[in-house]
Amino acid sequence: MKRRFSMRALLVTALTLFAIAPLLMLVVTSFARGWFYPSVAPSAVDGSAWADVFRDDSHRVALFNSVVLAVSTALVGTVLALPLGRTAALSTSGVRRTVALLAFTAVALPPVALGVGLQLSVLTLGLGGTVFGVFLAHLVPALGYLTLVFLGVFTRWDTRLEEAAATLGAAGMARWTHVLLPLLRRPISEALALGFLVSWAQVALTLLVGGGAVRTLPLDVLAMLQAGQDQRAAAGALALAIPALIVLGVSRVATGNTPAVVA
Amino acid sequence: MSVALRVQDVDVLFGNDGRFPTTESKALILPRPVDEPPGYRVGLADVNFSVNGGDCLAVLGASGDGKSSLLRTLAGLQILRVGNVEVNGRDVTTLPPEQRGVVYLHQEPVLFPHLAVYENVAFPQMLRGVPKRDALRRSLEWLERLHVSNVSGNMPDALSGGQRHRVALARALCAEPAVLLLDEPLASLDPAVRRDVRAALLEARAASGAAMVLVTHDLDDALAVATHVSVIDWGTLTPPAPPDALLASPPSLAAARLLGVFSEVSGEVIASDIGPQFRWAGGLMSAPHTEPGPAVAVTRSHEVRIERADVQDADAMTIIERRNGVHDVAVTMRNGSGVLVVLRTLFGTPNTVGEIVHVTLNSARVFADHWRRHV
Repeated sequence: MKRRFSMRALLVTALTLFAIAPLLMLVVTSFARGWFYPSVAPSAVDGSAWADVFRDDSHRVALFNSVVLAVSTALVGTVLALPLGRTAALSTSGVRRTVALLAFTAVALPPVALGVGLQLSVLTLGLGGTVFGVFLAHLVPALGYLTLVFLGVFTRWDTRLEEAAATLGAAGMARWTHVLLPLLRRPISEALALGFLVSWAQVALTLLVGGGAVRTLPLDVLAMLQAGQDQRAAAGALALAIPALIVLGVSRVATGNTPAVVA
Repeated sequence: MSVALRVQDVDVLFGNDGRFPTTESKALILPRPVDEPPGYRVGLADVNFSVNGGDCLAVLGASGDGKSSLLRTLAGLQILRVGNVEVNGRDVTTLPPEQRGVVYLHQEPVLFPHLAVYENVAFPQMLRGVPKRDALRRSLEWLERLHVSNVSGNMPDALSGGQRHRVALARALCAEPAVLLLDEPLASLDPAVRRDVRAALLEARAASGAAMVLVTHDLDDALAVATHVSVIDWGTLTPPAPPDALLASPPSLAAARLLGVFSEVSGEVIASDIGPQFRWAGGLMSAPHTEPGPAVAVTRSHEVRIERADVQDADAMTIIERRNGVHDVAVTMRNGSGVLVVLRTLFGTPNTVGEIVHVTLNSARVFADHWRRHV
């Protein structure tokens, strides 16, 4: 028993270190000036990198673009994926399988392969190098993920709830506002968070479709890293991680007591 | 009381793949089907009945006979292609479920898991725009009438099976429906909860004045709650009859078999000077209105008289087995020709195994045995 406990403690500790160590390293690096191998400690500690990240206008534009893209991808993706997943789940098995396959394709294709295909499509539409074009590109994998989320939710959905509401007098819109949406609070919150994160972390699609004209925070962090600005890259990476963690946390809190609604 | 529900010439569709042919796609972007979808067939044809407010019609049928499909059709949850449904004199055939004044209760109570019990019950009133305070007051009134006001603040997942049924019933009655459709509400309940829910149904019937249609495969449930009973017989519904009349004179052999309280004996109807006679292993009896040919007589246990017989009696039979049931005794007998007969009779019949007896059927309904006639 003791041995099993020790093994479990070891695994949990290892997992925690794996999750936290890179973040800790980022925090330390973001404040460390002139810290190069083989020095064991930085030559100086300051917050100049953080000031640069938030003071630099181009970074502020990148941050703004990232937020706009992530929020719109989350909202539009959820609004489209919910009815799509619901339609597929409650349709015949052929329709369900086809929609699932298409959604999987959008998720499973390597981002570069998907990006090249999307780049050609977006260029044809005259949207290459625009925020809207990048938004459309982000929407494709996001829609894939979110459709799969709602497909799973509605495959196990208890349609008797809507039937009960209907015969009790609830018309179409009232069924949505009084029964469906309150019961879907958890999957909708999770879908919004997932949609946000899919867009927030995109590099390949942004680069290929945006063509460098659309700057986002991940692209800026990548550029800083390539230029050897480790301290600024670390600060930028943390700035990239914090909103993602906040979105995840808010999503968990918002769905804390939502009842299960599947049959 | 006036007629609250009138059903005329309705055909009920069955799904071949186990799916209900719903009136409305559950999906958002699929069109609403307007005709009989492929893969469906008419399972119940030419259904006609009416139910007065305050009355309860029980529809008896075996599993898969279309009982749920019938209720779903009346509720507007399933496509109605042929026939008419009227509620309080208003034709609701083409109306969606929410505009029919009909509440459908699923076999398993479906309570909204995100609402407390009192909110669940107030739900139909809130939908109508009744002020929250009034809606909640009405909700508590119904909960009190059905003896579940003590759980009004609970969430549905904290309720027992019987409480869930009572709360679902209170919510249905709070909608003030003209018609209440009950889909096997007593199936799969243990005996104590079953008694509890039966009592709740009777209270609901008395308190609401709604017309009720209850589908069940259990005669006891039907007799406990219903004022009239109808039986699904070969894809159609027998005319509603009071329970006593139905038991005294079942409308068909299939209905008698479904009722499950009759013994049957096979024989033959023959023509005679005094009219058609049913000849069976125990003798002859009158069989008016039955064409000559193979036939089956059905009778109830209190109509069977078994008496010690004279050995010389040509119709005498020997008891070869007695088996006690819950309500009566099954007696197996053999006549001189070796024909076996099993009849149920009342407890207290003194005859023993090996005894030679004469059997009289005081009353029996005789039906043509179509199966033997066509084989």
